[in-house]
Amino acid sequence: MDFRLTEEQVARRKEIYKVCEELEKKKPKSYVGFESQFDNQEGWDFHRYCAREFAKRGWLALGWPKEYGGTGTMMDKVLLAEARGYYDLPGSDIFGVSMLAPTLLAAGSEEIKREFLPKIASAEIMFCELWSEPNAGSDLAGMTSTAVRKGDEFIVNGQKTWNTGAHFADWGFGVYKSDPTAKKHHNLTFILNDMKDKGVTVKGIPYMNGSHVYNEVYLDDVHMSAKYIVGQENEGWAVVNVLAGFERSNMDMVYGLVKAQEEFVNFCNETKRNGKPLSHDPMVRNKIAEFACSIEAVRTLAYRVADQQNRNEMGLMDAASVKVFASELLEKFGQIATDLLGPFGQVKHSKWAKLNGSAEYNYQACFVPIVSMGTNEIQRNIIAWYGLGLPRMK
Amino acid sequence: MDLRYSEQQEILKKSAKDFLTKECPKAKVRELENDAKGYDPALWQKMGELGWLGFNIPEDYEGMGYSFEDLAMHIEEVGKNILPGPYISTVVNTFAIVEAGTEEQKKDLLPKISNGNCILTLAWLEENGLFDASGITLKATQKGNDYVLNGTKLFVDGAHVAHKMIVVARTKDGSGPDGITLFLVDAKAAGIKTEVIPTIALDHLCEVVFKDVTVPAKSVLGKVDKGWAILQMLIRKGSILKSAESFGGLQAVFEMTVAYAKERIQYDRPIGAFQALQHKMSDMWIALGTSKFLLYEAAWKESEGEPSAKEASMTKAYINETYKLITALGVKLHGGIGTSSDHDVPLYYRRAKAADTAYGSTDYHRELVAQLIGMK
Repeated sequence: MDFRLTEEQVARRKEIYKVCEELEKKKPKSYVGFESQFDNQEGWDFHRYCAREFAKRGWLALGWPKEYGGTGTMMDKVLLAEARGYYDLPGSDIFGVSMLAPTLLAAGSEEIKREFLPKIASAEIMFCELWSEPNAGSDLAGMTSTAVRKGDEFIVNGQKTWNTGAHFADWGFGVYKSDPTAKKHHNLTFILNDMKDKGVTVKGIPYMNGSHVYNEVYLDDVHMSAKYIVGQENEGWAVVNVLAGFERSNMDMVYGLVKAQEEFVNFCNETKRNGKPLSHDPMVRNKIAEFACSIEAVRTLAYRVADQQNRNEMGLMDAASVKVFASELLEKFGQIATDLLGPFGQVKHSKWAKLNGSAEYNYQACFVPIVSMGTNEIQRNIIAWYGLGLPRMK
Repeated sequence: MDLRYSEQQEILKKSAKDFLTKECPKAKVRELENDAKGYDPALWQKMGELGWLGFNIPEDYEGMGYSFEDLAMHIEEVGKNILPGPYISTVVNTFAIVEAGTEEQKKDLLPKISNGNCILTLAWLEENGLFDASGITLKATQKGNDYVLNGTKLFVDGAHVAHKMIVVARTKDGSGPDGITLFLVDAKAAGIKTEVIPTIALDHLCEVVFKDVTVPAKSVLGKVDKGWAILQMLIRKGSILKSAESFGGLQAVFEMTVAYAKERIQYDRPIGAFQALQHKMSDMWIALGTSKFLLYEAAWKESEGEPSAKEASMTKAYINETYKLITALGVKLHGGIGTSSDHDVPLYYRRAKAADTAYGSTDYHRELVAQLIGMK
């Protein structure tokens, strides 16, 4: 085994951290947690600013093939996720950069790759995902929105939901029922569309903390061009699987936890209760140490996933473990931190807030990574069925 | 970065597995639990011949000179199978002689250990049950060129069959790290009385009473009054290797449980088809995955000679808990049969509790972690 980064990677990491450290200084005050880029215009502007700064350096095309403008390596991508997580920075479009770009590279036509990859790499356009529907959450079979072919176009009707950032996104990628008579898994088409298309209506769904992250998207006779199909017509299910198969190291979430731990240790050292630093309380020490062990455990596993990615091997089951474990650790941290702050645990980012209100924020925001990108329960099914070979639910 | 096993490690793992499958089946494990000695001397001899007792002994002293990381990989396989007896104690405590012994001590003991002719154990804990320096109260009083030991040590692994013991004693008044000295003592020296304590893993941990046990000054291991640093090194290495053993054990239970869930039919289907059970097995998988590279990182750092105290304590504190979690789920998912003493899963469940306190409990290591992550 060798856990060491190469000299080149160490230098690269330093460079990436330096850029991120500088960007952090420009973070708006209202930017408190990892979903803040969607909550207001200031956050979104900061997201686009960071994205342009990354794009300038080629960091939104890390690990892509050179012929499509790719730069750097898969490990660089991991290092950027690490630094962004540590400084809690947006700037890498999860839908465009992390999900759609690799899908286009694997399943897109030459034409569609040439049109969209440069725009993703330059941060010119941001994407949203039009996937879930009111009756199709984890189970896409319940999908009812339709795409009816008419010459070179599809006429799309229906309702999508839980569309993160759709109120700011320039383009969307979605799946629609395109052949009502075909069998399951051969009746969906995966299409890209401009969110300014006529007939697209975006309506916010306030998150439990009042912030605007999710949306409903209504599609009324939206004309989508057939040239924006990804993969084959009626074979969108295969594309969905390609997209879902791109494992993510979730290094940003893991390094968000690393930073949270550091900040909390400092807070406990500096905060006195009954005349003694909080850090002298054996129970506090025990809890924070337990948290630190878990973070290191998931950090090493995330590196294992990255190591596999880097040599083009798949570690989907380990990636699922990281997603479940890190997101539930964030939930646990939200609980521990708010508990230890006593009455201040409930205070939002404001004058009386401790730790800039991040404890209160995490207590609620933790459910975003828990329920999105395949809920943790779905991840547990995936591990059981595909990893452990247990019988699939009918 | 390359987080794959080396070819040498693959070979080591396979040969350990093949050997133990043949030489130490579960029937033998059960038999040895209730045996007076608690280990199989013939098997110990074979292990000596294979070099298992000299993995971490330099070649100059008739050892194999393997890396710490390779040793951890080997012990993982030992844990997967279960090997009764003071094997891990002997291997871990050997480090004290390798790193702190005099040339004479090394020449005398290392070849014997390597060849299977010397079981080495550590007399550390006492009635107060403390893992830190304040727990050491057994007195060693200087008398001419000798030291006289008086006191009682507990949970001494295989003391009743050991040839040598490293005894942790106080040579100066006080309760801190200073004034602690390690002695290499003949386990059968006059004034030593051992008695096996009935423990959860029936693993032959002993009470050892020292009554006016006289040892020569040349049996001091390291420097007088400065033994705590050596003990800390043993705790650190022992924590990693004990965790490697536990990690092997938790993998074995995980594999047994998933296999059973696929073959046990209830309500006309394998019980593994039920989501209530599937999600528990997925949680076992997650606990296993998160344990794995935490352990390997600690083993790698130790192997490279990098500071590894934090990683070692994190590993011990974490795997203590995942081993208990996975074995408890293993028992529950097997249902009634999982509670039977004839079944293999409880063998591991009981050992998970035993492993938990070896080289420091979860709470002890969490406190070390708290210090190492900067809690004032």
